[in-house]
Amino acid sequence: MSEVLNISSSPHVRDKWTTPYIMRVVLLSLMPATIVGIISYGWQAAAIVALAVASAVLTEWVFCKIVRKPSTIWDGSAAVTGLLLGLSLGPRTPLYLPVLGSVFAIAIVKCCFGGLGKNFINPALAGRCFLLISFAEAMSIKPILDTVSGATPMGALRAYETVDITKMFLGTADGVIGSSVLALLIGGLILWSMDIIHGQICFSVLGGFTLFIALFGGHGFDINFLLAHLCGGGVVMGAFFMATDYVTSPVSRLGQFIYGCLIGVLGGIFRLYGDTADSFSYAIVIGNVCTPLIDTYIVQKPLAYRKIGRTRPVKKEPFRIPKPVIALGIIAAIAAVALSGVYKMTKPTIEKNELQKKTEAYMEVCPGTEEFETVQAAEDMIAAQSEKASPRINEFYVGKSAAGEVTGYAMSIQTKGFGGKLVMTLGLTADGKIQKIAFTELNETKGLGMKADEDGFKDQFNGKGGTLKLGEDISAISGATVTSTAVVNGVNAGLKFFDSVMKGGN
Amino acid sequence: MRNTFRGGVHPDERKELSREARLRLFNPKGEMVFPLQQHIGKPAKPIVQKGDQVLVGQKIAEADGFVSAHIYASCSGAVKNIEKRRVLGGGMADCIVIDNDGQFTQIADFSEKDNEAKLSDDEIHQRVQDAGIVGLGGAGFPTHVKLKPKNPEAINYIIANGAECEPYITCNDQLMRTHSNEIVEGLELVLRLFPNAEGVICIEDNKPEAIHAMEIAVSNKPRMKVQAMITKYPQGGERSLIQAVTGIDFPITQLPADAGCIVQNVGTLYAIQRAVLYREPLFSQCFTLSGEAVKEPANFFVRVGTNYAELLAECGGVKEGVKAVKALCGGPMMGVAMGSLDVPVQKQNNALTLLAEDPVEEADKLMTACLHCGRCTTVCPVGLMPQLMADAAFMGDLERYEKKLFGLECIQCGSCTFACPAKRPLMQAFKQAKAEITAKKKQEGGGKK
Repeated sequence: MSEVLNISSSPHVRDKWTTPYIMRVVLLSLMPATIVGIISYGWQAAAIVALAVASAVLTEWVFCKIVRKPSTIWDGSAAVTGLLLGLSLGPRTPLYLPVLGSVFAIAIVKCCFGGLGKNFINPALAGRCFLLISFAEAMSIKPILDTVSGATPMGALRAYETVDITKMFLGTADGVIGSSVLALLIGGLILWSMDIIHGQICFSVLGGFTLFIALFGGHGFDINFLLAHLCGGGVVMGAFFMATDYVTSPVSRLGQFIYGCLIGVLGGIFRLYGDTADSFSYAIVIGNVCTPLIDTYIVQKPLAYRKIGRTRPVKKEPFRIPKPVIALGIIAAIAAVALSGVYKMTKPTIEKNELQKKTEAYMEVCPGTEEFETVQAAEDMIAAQSEKASPRINEFYVGKSAAGEVTGYAMSIQTKGFGGKLVMTLGLTADGKIQKIAFTELNETKGLGMKADEDGFKDQFNGKGGTLKLGEDISAISGATVTSTAVVNGVNAGLKFFDSVMKGGN
Repeated sequence: MRNTFRGGVHPDERKELSREARLRLFNPKGEMVFPLQQHIGKPAKPIVQKGDQVLVGQKIAEADGFVSAHIYASCSGAVKNIEKRRVLGGGMADCIVIDNDGQFTQIADFSEKDNEAKLSDDEIHQRVQDAGIVGLGGAGFPTHVKLKPKNPEAINYIIANGAECEPYITCNDQLMRTHSNEIVEGLELVLRLFPNAEGVICIEDNKPEAIHAMEIAVSNKPRMKVQAMITKYPQGGERSLIQAVTGIDFPITQLPADAGCIVQNVGTLYAIQRAVLYREPLFSQCFTLSGEAVKEPANFFVRVGTNYAELLAECGGVKEGVKAVKALCGGPMMGVAMGSLDVPVQKQNNALTLLAEDPVEEADKLMTACLHCGRCTTVCPVGLMPQLMADAAFMGDLERYEKKLFGLECIQCGSCTFACPAKRPLMQAFKQAKAEITAKKKQEGGGKK
């Protein structure tokens, strides 16, 4: 045998897993969320995702060209970053933002710090945070599916309103492109089962977050409340796809657990006491920067030195609380104190803002009013209604002008339409005739029941009083009898309530 | 008792190439070369001179001290010379070269079986030592030293290692299938030396025929049993076996005996049986020659001193249309890459693997930066954190490597390097770091004196 033989150190065989293989699997696992997002939010969502991926890959290629390094785009990590960034943007984000975000993520956060494996925070999250801070208005998620209530689930949740968990779970509520919890869970659990992501991280993030929300959220272990918080605000995407990023998470099992809990708890603090719906991104970024600290101090010992099973440690060391635990505890405490302080300071302002919003809604149906006052008799009657009554009166106010004269009456009525809950505001003139009606929550069939919100239908009520009859006083929306009936019944209930209040006193 | 250890990897087994090939004795024609160092410890001292006629089974070099082993001739003929020859690993070493006359005349026929009941424990010890037996699993530690722990009563388990976890290698599989009774007799002899010990024959479950054969052989024997193990590398590592059998992990500074165990390769037990009952010294051992580049992969009883190239020729040489790019002494996980096949087979060698492709070459092309994915930590059978060790080693932070990361505990099984998706050369870094630390310690130790 005359050929030259290769010489190398053992082992002489290698596993089939490679970096591009892992990245390809991660890309595939994100596909369900991407597809659901595009189906839910349309072509603009597809364009945003495509632009984010393309510009991430291109940026890396250009960077490698400029610094004269071999191109590293084939390892697939840039595409993963781009896709994650794209999925964490809103579906109506202007198209230049995904490009800017990707360029920042790849060029500044990844390549400038040495490329793959060297970045200190997750590039996709860094890109997102960069956009959130720099383009706050353009980055805010605008409701496009639920146009009636005018709020995204996260907005509603933060305003302590009820949200539709099923829609959030399926990804048909308003949110970022990759907001389908179901699709994300499928991808995430596949990655977990393939041992690509570490269970210690994703489950401790979810566990820490849930526990914190349960303890401090004010609703205890109310499953609906917890699920609503878990399904919203990128918690699932963060737990499975962002926090588990290899490069920016600790390597020891204990370290990963601490890191996951830290992110979960910080996410909970920001969610409950913070002022933004995108707080989870910041929680993960803080976790990322704590990673080197955790890795320096928390190192797992070889099996022979651990006190488990029948192992025989050579010598025993006295137990000490690991330094990083203390350090991280302090950081978390400071963050919590700082945030709750900010909350306390801003609380009156928040309350004032909320009152302002409500007042505006009543102003619309009760024009010329300067101040709304409650009436004791009405309050008693509202409280006396059965919990399940439908239609049900939620609120009743007397509107007064600056001079103190009664300008009219405003009330919020809740009833059931064809598509579920239906909430409207009814404005009455000082003499008890209908001033105007408006809807604050309307979930009816598009093109049919939703026509109730059109002036053609609503204006029929103006100036009327007594007991209204569908077909005589009010003409029904064709093809939406249930909705029309519900509205008329609601208005009648309101009129009747007004009469009772007037008779009852005042 | 569990049937596996923590961590580990699943390399492609490739045992089908040679698993059905029967063990056969190979009689080489060329000159035979006997390195004086074929074991851990001091090299043996030659007791023959140039021109002496020797016979098969004749002692040609004597152990120098207790931790050393005799060397016996495996062919008959005249001693050609005692000179430096190229040996495994590429270096030159003192060797006795014998001009093989092709007759293989034996000094005795080693066929008369002694009654083992009449042998005292000391005689068993003596005969093992006289036969020059070393651990045939690969390390080559003199067996008589292993059989004399400080406190024989404290030994709870004699583990017969038939795991054979290295890919390609099948000679122990064949040995267990065809010589199961001999192995069990060898184990019985060892068990006699340790009154409180139980014999456990550990075999990976990818060798059902061997498990079956061994189970029949131990069926009416007290104090021993067969344990099927999950097929996983490095199942056949001493520490992995002890962990699986006893649940004990022990630091690298301790010996298996400290955990109450003695591990013997099944090939070694066979050699012990031959040595004690038939007074046959160790001059041949079972051996697999396999790999994609070999025309007819085979299992042999190979004579110590046989030239590797001659052995390959016996297997039909390199397969037509295939280029042998790498030759490994041993299997692909822990084997040593050979620069040339013109070297002699040593006692502790058990395989030659000839690869048609070099995955390391491929891996070097695919190498990326470390992702910190943690696969190396997951697979490490010792429970180390190879990625942090590699960081420390590359940065030259030997203090952290040794004290904080317990880098010296590495058993160099290569699982981390195998599993690494970024194809980092972890093992090389660890070997180098270990060498540097050892050198530094020696220097410091010397300075104190």
